[in-house]
Amino acid sequence: MIVELFIPAIIVLLAGTIFPILTASLDRRSVRTISLSCTIVGSILLVSLSLLILLYGEPVYFTLFQPLPAFSLSFVIDRLAAFFLLIIAVVSSCVALYFTEYIEHIAGSNRRNLLCGCTNLFILAMVLVVASANTISFFLFWEVMAASSFFLVMYEYSQQNTAKAGIYYFVMTQLSSLFILLGIIILYLTTGSFDFLPLTTTASAPLITVAFLALFLGFSIKAGIIPFHKWLPYAHPASPSPVSALMSGVMLKIAVYGLVRFLLDVFTPDLWWGVLILAAGTASAVLGVIYALKEHDVKGMLAYSSIENIGIIFTGIGLSVIFTASNLPLLATLSLLGALFHSLNHAMFKSLLFLTAGSVVSATRTRNIEHMGGLAPRMPVTSALFFIGAVSIIALPPLNGFASELLIFISFISSVSVVDPLFKILLFICLSLFALTSALSAACFVKAFGSIFLALPRSPESAAAKEVPLTMLIGPGILAAACILLGVCALQIFATVGFTVPLPDMLLVSLLLLGMSVLTYVVLYFTASREVRVSETWGCGTLSQQASAEYSGHGFSEPLDIIFSAIYRTRTINERIFFDQKNCIFKEGTGEIRLLKVFEEYLYRPIAQQSLKVAEGVSRFQNGCLDTYLLYVFVTVIALIIFLGWFA
Amino acid sequence: MIETAIVVGIIRILFVGIIITAAYIISTRNLLSVVSVYALQSLTLVCIALALYSLEGSIVLLAIAVVTFISKVIIIPYFIATIQEKIRIKRDIEFHYLSPTSSLLISMALMMVIYMALARIVEGTPVRESLFFFGAVLGISLMLMGMMVTFSRKRAITKVLGFLSMENGVLLFGMFVTELPFIIEFLIIIDLIILVILTTILSVGIDSTLEDYHKRLHRFHLLIEPEEVS
Repeated sequence: MIVELFIPAIIVLLAGTIFPILTASLDRRSVRTISLSCTIVGSILLVSLSLLILLYGEPVYFTLFQPLPAFSLSFVIDRLAAFFLLIIAVVSSCVALYFTEYIEHIAGSNRRNLLCGCTNLFILAMVLVVASANTISFFLFWEVMAASSFFLVMYEYSQQNTAKAGIYYFVMTQLSSLFILLGIIILYLTTGSFDFLPLTTTASAPLITVAFLALFLGFSIKAGIIPFHKWLPYAHPASPSPVSALMSGVMLKIAVYGLVRFLLDVFTPDLWWGVLILAAGTASAVLGVIYALKEHDVKGMLAYSSIENIGIIFTGIGLSVIFTASNLPLLATLSLLGALFHSLNHAMFKSLLFLTAGSVVSATRTRNIEHMGGLAPRMPVTSALFFIGAVSIIALPPLNGFASELLIFISFISSVSVVDPLFKILLFICLSLFALTSALSAACFVKAFGSIFLALPRSPESAAAKEVPLTMLIGPGILAAACILLGVCALQIFATVGFTVPLPDMLLVSLLLLGMSVLTYVVLYFTASREVRVSETWGCGTLSQQASAEYSGHGFSEPLDIIFSAIYRTRTINERIFFDQKNCIFKEGTGEIRLLKVFEEYLYRPIAQQSLKVAEGVSRFQNGCLDTYLLYVFVTVIALIIFLGWFA
Repeated sequence: MIETAIVVGIIRILFVGIIITAAYIISTRNLLSVVSVYALQSLTLVCIALALYSLEGSIVLLAIAVVTFISKVIIIPYFIATIQEKIRIKRDIEFHYLSPTSSLLISMALMMVIYMALARIVEGTPVRESLFFFGAVLGISLMLMGMMVTFSRKRAITKVLGFLSMENGVLLFGMFVTELPFIIEFLIIIDLIILVILTTILSVGIDSTLEDYHKRLHRFHLLIEPEEVS
């Protein structure tokens, strides 16, 4: 049954990939619609398949193709894989629905067909990565995923920012693949098999530790854990919004899936592994949201917020590893459930936010939130959808962000009484940072929603913005419904899949909340005065109120800027040119205070410069002169003779 | 038949001849004589093959001698001489990495190293003092000396001669150590002839087009100095 659903889904997605590429010369809407319908059909098949497995199923194992005895393209769909397949499928179908209309409004004529094909390939690769039963096919599809997502990022290749984003993304993603390949090879050397099998040797063996570190690094780079996060804030603003939604909502989760899969199925983790993951997660969560606060590009802000949420997910995984290593299986399950549930929730609300942000950007033609404003009356449905996403992401009850963050909080708090005193301190520090993260992310999205949708428009484009067509609202609408459903029915959903979690019954809470609001409204309706007053908001006595006098996003985040000024390092640039040589008569000058890109300037650039130096040194050996190569051959032959004579 | 000791003595003398020709090819600046010396080296190889034939009586050696004589003593030197006439280069004075003196010193050291290395490899076996051991050492040395010519000279024509000299080294090694099948030896020689013919076509062709090019440059006053003929 499962295989009968899986194979058609793969075939449909493959058809959706190949068809628009074959008809790339036809710039027709129908081609793109057919391709994206394939995505939707494939996703629906995958949703039903994964729900079947999650609710009833036993793991299914099957081999598609076996070219060599040691290597096969085999797939296994167990509950973990099915869970991630569900994430991929739901987000992909909503994104595809949105894309059918969105793609007609972007530039690129024929290239749009290729964009459809590449999107389908990207989704297909992610599905196959998750379903892979051995590390070789895992890596193979991982590379396909990396390559196709690179093409998606490079869609608007003629823009300068895109080229930079593309290079960043390509280098980082290949680095990630490199580390993963290293980990896989080391695992193969220790076990002699490419399957996801539990290691028989203990975790403390040095080779195993190296394998874990390599895999952890690889997945962290792909997931955007600080300090490997730099590609996210470049790649997301550069790529089309639905692609950002897919990359942020789903692709980052594939890295999470990889980490969880290896930790659960292959390794027997050490305690310090958990501490490492926890530390990386907490650091990403806090720094991610702090950088998000400072960002005024709406998609850049969402990218930093993704870093924060991935940090939260890693925190949950780290806690789970720590509890497993300290023999607390219940707590381990709880925190892992929290992490996985947050993965699902983040996929929902982040793709919702990216899609609605895409609508806003295409309506206002700018990504800078300072140039937006006043969109709530102009785009009411979009603003309502964005509001639901924002409320979810800042974890307000009864929406889904609250449920998953609460799970992680509960496991934090209940662990404090059972672990060593030293760990207590660590966990308390992480807990307080985690709480800070939630508060800051609330501030961040209040700022975003306020600046984008409320008050008066701050640019003519924003004033002329119109609501997007219905097809661009259905996809986000489904995601918003999912956000509400996953939050309200969290307890019931966990019960259905067979887990009892110490969550409050959000259904009851939300019914109470709803009842309270209805009651308040009714009371106000009957008691308040019906007199209508038309007047301007008080504006400090100015005669005419202008949009420029509004409380801007910068102004909103200013207090937080001051609090975290130690983290927002600035660089003062002061260049002056003088008329005379003794620098007395001033001619002209530029002064600038800009935010220091700490990681870029102190980590990425030095590494890049060192690699360039090494590359220059190596390239000197490769000078294009025949004589030099003959000399190399000569020296090699002599060395071989000497080796044979004296050492062999 | 001639006595074995005499034949062995003759072969030893011919070995010395090969070393001298190789040293000459490495060090000389006169292009015309390099070709004659190459022909002489090949002739020496023919003599060695004949002498070996008189020792062993293998018909393959006779065939090798015949083929080598026709190809390497007559045809290839003839072609190269044709090239030299066409391109009017008489002297080769540009060197890369190694000057002739240092090439000579290095090739001496090389022979020592190869002798010692091979001696360690065949330690304790009866071949240690035999003619075949010297043949092997000399073959490898000749090959490496040819290689030194290919990377230390700048002119393509000398590079080709270095390559041909390398092949002579392989042939020498093959005659003494391994029983190279005759067909392979024959194929190598055909390859060599093709290489030389290609060089002929290329150098004559390039030269003519170069002249055309120079004419054009002169016409547009882009090239002031006269064409260099060295």
